[in-house]
Amino acid sequence: MLYLQILVNGLLLGGLYACIASGFSLVWGVLNVINILHGSFIVIGSYVGLLAHQQFGINPFLTVPVAGLLLYGFGYLLQRGVINRAVGQPVLVTLTLTFGLELLVNNMLIAGFTADYKKVVLENPFGQIELGALFVPVDRLLSMVLALLLTGILYWMLRGSKLGRAIVAVRMDREAAALMGVKVNSIYAVTFGLGALMAGAAGSMMSMIYPISPIISTAYLGKAFVICVMGGLGSVPGAIVGGLALGVIESFGSLFFSAELATTFSFVLLILLLIFRPTGLMGRRGYE
Amino acid sequence: MEDYRVEHRMGLKTRRIVQAALICAVASVGMSAGAVAADKTLKFGAPLPLTGPLSPEGLKQKEGYDLWAEQVNKAGGIKVGGDSYKIEVVYADYQSNTPRAVQLAEKLITADKVNFLFSPFGSGATKAASAVSEKYGIPTIAATASSKAVYDQGYKYLFGTFTPNSTLTTPLTKLVKEKLPAVKRVAILARNDLFPLAIANVMDGSAKGSGLEVVAFEKYAIGTLDHASTLTKLRATKPDWVFATGYTNDLILIREQMRNAGLKVPVVTMIAGPAYKEYAESLGKQAENVTSAAWWHPAVRYSGEDVFGSTEKYNALFEAKYNKVPDYVQASASASGVILQLAIQKAGSVDPKKVRDALAALDAKTFYGPVKFGSDGQITSLDPPVFQIQGGKPVVILPADIKQADLKPVS
Amino acid sequence: MRRFDTILGPLVVLALLIGFAFVGDNYFLRLATFMLMYAVLALSWNFIGGMAGYPSFATAAFFGLGAYCGAILQKAGVPMFLSWAAAGLFTGVFAMLLGRAILHLKGHYFAIASLIVAEALREVVNTWTELTGGGMGLNLPVLQMDVTDQARFFFFAMLVVAASTFVLSAVVIRGKLGFGLSCIKQNEDAANILGVDATRYKVFAFVLSAVFVGPAGAIYAGWVNYIEPADAFDVLLSVKPIVMVILGGAGTLYGPVVGAFAFLILEEVVWRNVLTFHSGLLGLLIVLLVLFMPQGLIRVTARRLFRRTAAP
Repeated sequence: MLYLQILVNGLLLGGLYACIASGFSLVWGVLNVINILHGSFIVIGSYVGLLAHQQFGINPFLTVPVAGLLLYGFGYLLQRGVINRAVGQPVLVTLTLTFGLELLVNNMLIAGFTADYKKVVLENPFGQIELGALFVPVDRLLSMVLALLLTGILYWMLRGSKLGRAIVAVRMDREAAALMGVKVNSIYAVTFGLGALMAGAAGSMMSMIYPISPIISTAYLGKAFVICVMGGLGSVPGAIVGGLALGVIESFGSLFFSAELATTFSFVLLILLLIFRPTGLMGRRGYE
Repeated sequence: MEDYRVEHRMGLKTRRIVQAALICAVASVGMSAGAVAADKTLKFGAPLPLTGPLSPEGLKQKEGYDLWAEQVNKAGGIKVGGDSYKIEVVYADYQSNTPRAVQLAEKLITADKVNFLFSPFGSGATKAASAVSEKYGIPTIAATASSKAVYDQGYKYLFGTFTPNSTLTTPLTKLVKEKLPAVKRVAILARNDLFPLAIANVMDGSAKGSGLEVVAFEKYAIGTLDHASTLTKLRATKPDWVFATGYTNDLILIREQMRNAGLKVPVVTMIAGPAYKEYAESLGKQAENVTSAAWWHPAVRYSGEDVFGSTEKYNALFEAKYNKVPDYVQASASASGVILQLAIQKAGSVDPKKVRDALAALDAKTFYGPVKFGSDGQITSLDPPVFQIQGGKPVVILPADIKQADLKPVS
Repeated sequence: MRRFDTILGPLVVLALLIGFAFVGDNYFLRLATFMLMYAVLALSWNFIGGMAGYPSFATAAFFGLGAYCGAILQKAGVPMFLSWAAAGLFTGVFAMLLGRAILHLKGHYFAIASLIVAEALREVVNTWTELTGGGMGLNLPVLQMDVTDQARFFFFAMLVVAASTFVLSAVVIRGKLGFGLSCIKQNEDAANILGVDATRYKVFAFVLSAVFVGPAGAIYAGWVNYIEPADAFDVLLSVKPIVMVILGGAGTLYGPVVGAFAFLILEEVVWRNVLTFHSGLLGLLIVLLVLFMPQGLIRVTARRLFRRTAAP
């Protein structure tokens, strides 16, 4: 029973992880840009959820689309205005650029919202489902379902829609896609926007699960890294697999070893994966 | 080198303007030199973590110092002999990076020529920076350092406003044993970080010392995003008392996940979250009946000879300025200023050595409580309150003479 | 002219620095020591990042490892100089093993692997409380020395490391190794065909990027008397050298030194004058730098000056 509970905990956490990482993975795969800003995007999404709840009493689940669209706009403009100037540059340049942007944006968030922790407190909490000795918190369950749903929609969109196929085409071969009449620059901006959208949606959802502060962005980013490498770069289904895997690994890690070792454990795993299986658990070829 | 070149998407002109600006920025070296020394001003240096993970704490300390400085200046400054000195607190941000705090302490002393120093946040940074103020012989008040290890270095210029950690856990343990004798098994969950770990270790001692059984002692890493499995593990040990340490965000998450994990116990103690208003605000009903302890609480009532006069007046001034209730960090910071001021006035001099001696001999009443330091520089005169969140607000349950309510079990 | 470039110039700078040690006050000595430390980091990163073109983010790992190695040995009673040397050796060996493991990765994969190494080490140090003090940090033995003498002592220690790094850079950049590395940077496959043993060269460059960073970390630990994991393995320690090298001019000999100097000044000016928004300004600076001046300070100023004089 204990193991079952731990497994459930791991899967619930993994669902959130998948949502944290899918946008990050998409941007990485298509633009070949490691978006260090991703953690801050999530935090902005959380503040959207928080403000909407404070001002109008709206449940953060309902602000998910608002936060997503807002972040889409922000991401689109940021890519068009700044990041696009460095796309196609070596990793050093793009990474340093997004790192600089992260310092800037995160500091602005602190200036605007302070670093104090805040959280959405629901009047009527969702409570939990108790199945014998098994506890399943409903807000987390809903979040996991929504997270997987969003990631699924993203995946479906990439596969099924015209825009999605253009994105995949650019990802596979930029020059060829350009020759085929795909406007590469606007695909880049849309993709970056979509990555930000996923972050914003995740953030809004998590505003009732995690305490909100600009400081927490690095923790999200660290998870996104690990998940992304585990699942294979740039692969959306990989983000789901990687997220769930990390959630379960961390949960059992804190049971068998100790909670303080769970993070170490995931980093070591990540390095080993990079060394021996850089294509990720799914075995798909990554971008490079 | 070609790889570093960004394609020419912007006009050459903008490019050159920005280049010129950057070069100018690099070139403008000597611009920032020289602190302006106006006469009749006393400078108090305060290296604080104003950005980075500790910034919530750092900004609180700043509020405390600012309020004190404002009140003193409003009252005409500090009078020493025939002179009166205006106060200036010189801040420096060490970005939550301890060695930077040490470096800044030295910078404040050597470059900004501060007369006195307030320590950085927490025991670790205070200990590290105290070596600098000792070297230069600058009287230093630590507003947020409790660990004994900070004060047993044999330093002469360091004084602290927090009593040792065990003064928080021992009275609480006694109270629980007395009021809830059925409580036998304690589970401790600690953040692997200086103060949270230290207080957890002290709790381990307090619990064992009074015949309770410590059934689990788990540590979690800084930045942990999920405690569900650890709490499930704790639940399996069947504790009656969960004692969790960490900072506000950790403890909010732990409290929430305790409910999710079905971990229901009669006593939940958390340090240091519940002392802050964010804790109760972020948890709503979940915060109810959580106990905690801190070195000061707005519900204590002291009158003093300082610029604030009494705890009530301090609270009122604080609320008027910041529109919120002060917590122990802010009060301790204000008290640090008050203590230095009293020592300067008693010494009748701003000479560091004389002020240091006046601090060692100080025996004064303040809004923060009676102030008297032990031979190691740590305050001995304070009786830290134990409190519990009841009806969404922290109320004092210990010490008996100022208590506002009795201890209630969580469930 | 060439002689001035390679020998006389650095000697003049060295003489100025030594003279400076006896006139500057403690605060400026501290800044100068920081500048030398930054120069060590930047010059070291230049071996693997600037010359070989591998985006290494492992500087923080080497620095933290060196700091903890030096600190733990000193606490165990090993003499200071010996502990510094041991820190160099230890980080060097670590870099060799790590390099063998991850240098076959390219681009993002290499960048992340090197970045995560520092994170993993930080977590290990954080949890290995018996040896490292964990989150409580480590206090080092305090030197029984006058304040100013102490500041000078650490200044000179850092100066020795910085000068050694510089000399080695000069040797490498003009030698066979430097040539091989620049071949690798331009086209690794072609370099292999031309008979450059790419793997050996890369590992060598990676080790070079670590051996001086280790002692710099150890000296830093002794200098500030207190280290903690979050600081010793700070990710900014990996990013700043990159910014400095880009600022000065990557792959060049003087670029990293000029970059370190300029960066320190900028950081200090911003830091002193802007209380709560300096990391934002640092970020803005990085963005502007990457977008508008990617080829570095040396070249831009040289070109501007040249254009001025050539115009009329």
